[in-house]
Amino acid sequence: MIYDRNNLPEELLNLPASDFEALYQEDIKDEKFQTKPVGFFKDAAIRLTKSKVSIIAFIIIGIIIILAVVVPPLSPYGFNDQNISAKYLPPKMPIVEKLGIMDGTRVLKNRKVSGLSDTDRYPEGSIIEYFNVVTAKGQEMCDVRVDAYMLAGMPDGEYHWFGTDYLGRDLLTRLFKGARISLLIAFFSVLTNVFIGVVYGAISGYYGGKVDIILTHFAEVLDGMPYIVVTILFMILFGSGMVSIILALTITGWIGTSRLIRAQFYRFKGREYVLAARTLGVPDRTLIFRHILPNCVGPLITRAMIAIPGAIFSESFLAYLGLGIKPPNPSIGVLLSDGQSVLLQYPYQTVFPAILISVLMIAFNLFSNGLRDALDPTKRGEE
Amino acid sequence: MAESEYILEVKNLCQHFTSGRGRKKLTVKAVDDVTFSVRRAETFGLVGESGCGKTTTGRTVIRLYNPTSGQMLFDGRDIAGRMNRKLREYLTSNIAMIFQDPIESLNPKMTIEEIVGEGLKVRGNRNKEDIRRQVVQMLNKVGLVEEHATRYPHEFSGGQRQRIGIARAIITNPKMVIADEPVSALDVSVQAQVINLLNDLKEEMGLTILFIAHNLSVVKYFSDRIGVMYYGHLVEVAKGDDLYQKPLHPYTRALLSAIPEPNPLTERTRVRIDYVPERDHDYSLEHPSMVEVEPEHFVYCSPSELERYREIIQNA
Repeated sequence: MIYDRNNLPEELLNLPASDFEALYQEDIKDEKFQTKPVGFFKDAAIRLTKSKVSIIAFIIIGIIIILAVVVPPLSPYGFNDQNISAKYLPPKMPIVEKLGIMDGTRVLKNRKVSGLSDTDRYPEGSIIEYFNVVTAKGQEMCDVRVDAYMLAGMPDGEYHWFGTDYLGRDLLTRLFKGARISLLIAFFSVLTNVFIGVVYGAISGYYGGKVDIILTHFAEVLDGMPYIVVTILFMILFGSGMVSIILALTITGWIGTSRLIRAQFYRFKGREYVLAARTLGVPDRTLIFRHILPNCVGPLITRAMIAIPGAIFSESFLAYLGLGIKPPNPSIGVLLSDGQSVLLQYPYQTVFPAILISVLMIAFNLFSNGLRDALDPTKRGEE
Repeated sequence: MAESEYILEVKNLCQHFTSGRGRKKLTVKAVDDVTFSVRRAETFGLVGESGCGKTTTGRTVIRLYNPTSGQMLFDGRDIAGRMNRKLREYLTSNIAMIFQDPIESLNPKMTIEEIVGEGLKVRGNRNKEDIRRQVVQMLNKVGLVEEHATRYPHEFSGGQRQRIGIARAIITNPKMVIADEPVSALDVSVQAQVINLLNDLKEEMGLTILFIAHNLSVVKYFSDRIGVMYYGHLVEVAKGDDLYQKPLHPYTRALLSAIPEPNPLTERTRVRIDYVPERDHDYSLEHPSMVEVEPEHFVYCSPSELERYREIIQNA
């Protein structure tokens, strides 16, 4: 040492080495952990099940998916069975009809009271009540509540739970057939979006530099084009099938995912564990997909779940513009667009698809919120 | 080819980082004209304050960065040239690295078995049982048990994680390990544990260690020879004892004077030396270079300073 050891008592300065004894010298031997190993997804699942809202949302999504699978084949009506005499039938559902709603009745306005006794027009028992009797130009006019099913000459025991449309097709069957198609479109468009976005974003984020500049600018140019115009041109070119709708939703849909993944790669590629893997000689492909990508899985899943209701909504929007799926196939958007043209006369045609799409979107949003919290690494190990 | 005495020779290594271009171009000379050699099976310590380029030197040697200029020879083979598959293979199978931050350096999404076995897998070992066996063997060597192989990094303490990092580095039987501040994130008792483990492994496997640290007492305990860095320059290289007993460069003196003394009585009277390059050196007339002042003792100095240093050595 270069300093004076001043002011130290003599006996402290000259201690022989034999007076010192190492406190511990034994080999390091760690003990087994007492707890059970908890993996990333197991941990996320534990936290997800703690959130009641996510559970409820998950159950709702599950029910809708099951109904979409089960209802069309089990229903006595096919989704394209047309019956002109059964057109515009209001909803009629067993049991519920006793409550006075969805009982298959409809109010006809401004009918001649004298005509009510005409059994050709109004079969016996089809008139339930009449009211608002007024006299105009010497004629007695009234509003009549009729049993629309009897009026249309439907046999007893015929039930269209959600009513029928202008071709007499059963709307319940069509709604769940439509939900099935909408969900399929949503799932597959999100899947392709995620796939393209992950590969594109990973390359752009991992290699950085010139590659990144070129790829990012290309995506920006694509993003800058008016989405609707591109989609319309696309649909004109490829026709309005399910595949072309999925592709139309993919044209610009992947850009968001690729941005997310690119940002995540910028965040993780400089981490020491990535450097460590590089010093071991791990090739780029393995680094991208095994070392970095698994760390982006939380935001990625969350984003995909949020994108599903978005895709359903975009599909409905396209259907509204008349760019929906080819008839006679229904989708929720097609049903809504058909229904809104007769909204004031037959509101039930719009109400049921509207309820379904709202419930579906809310459930997906709540579920993805729960997922985001569950997959958030900063909340790991809490509780 | 005759085996040279040195396993790693670094000559005039420069690592400059640039940002911006044109008028806004900015160059940071993280490592500037650094020359040193590491002998077989020795521990070479590299010390210096934060940001002086120790870590960059280590990372350049293992080619995480591409050197701006200079020569690096490992076992007589040039490792500073263009990166290709062969060179990467050669480098990664001969040099391994241990990182500073035990939390950051293990992938949170991989089990210990995957992390430690990665090096074997990269080298083409597809036999899962064999990998498992070697991983467990290596874990036992660093004081962990088989059961730990299935666990994730967040379940371990800092010291345990650092030992996992060591296991990962040495499972491929490298000739040299670059230990980049392996203990600076650990508390003192665990530091000793990890350092002793490294020492044991070094003797057992005949490893050469390039030990990067800023804790001088750890470096002194562990290293055969020590290099002191200051702002990208290597200012003094000497055997451990020489450096501590006869520090020549003013920065080395300043660094040594900053070590707290365990004895409270002497600690109170400890005098810190400041290092001010503008005051301590006059390089306006003569240029400094790396000179061997006495055998195995190199200092970065100008001729007139060399005279002065020689006198100090003779008087000591």
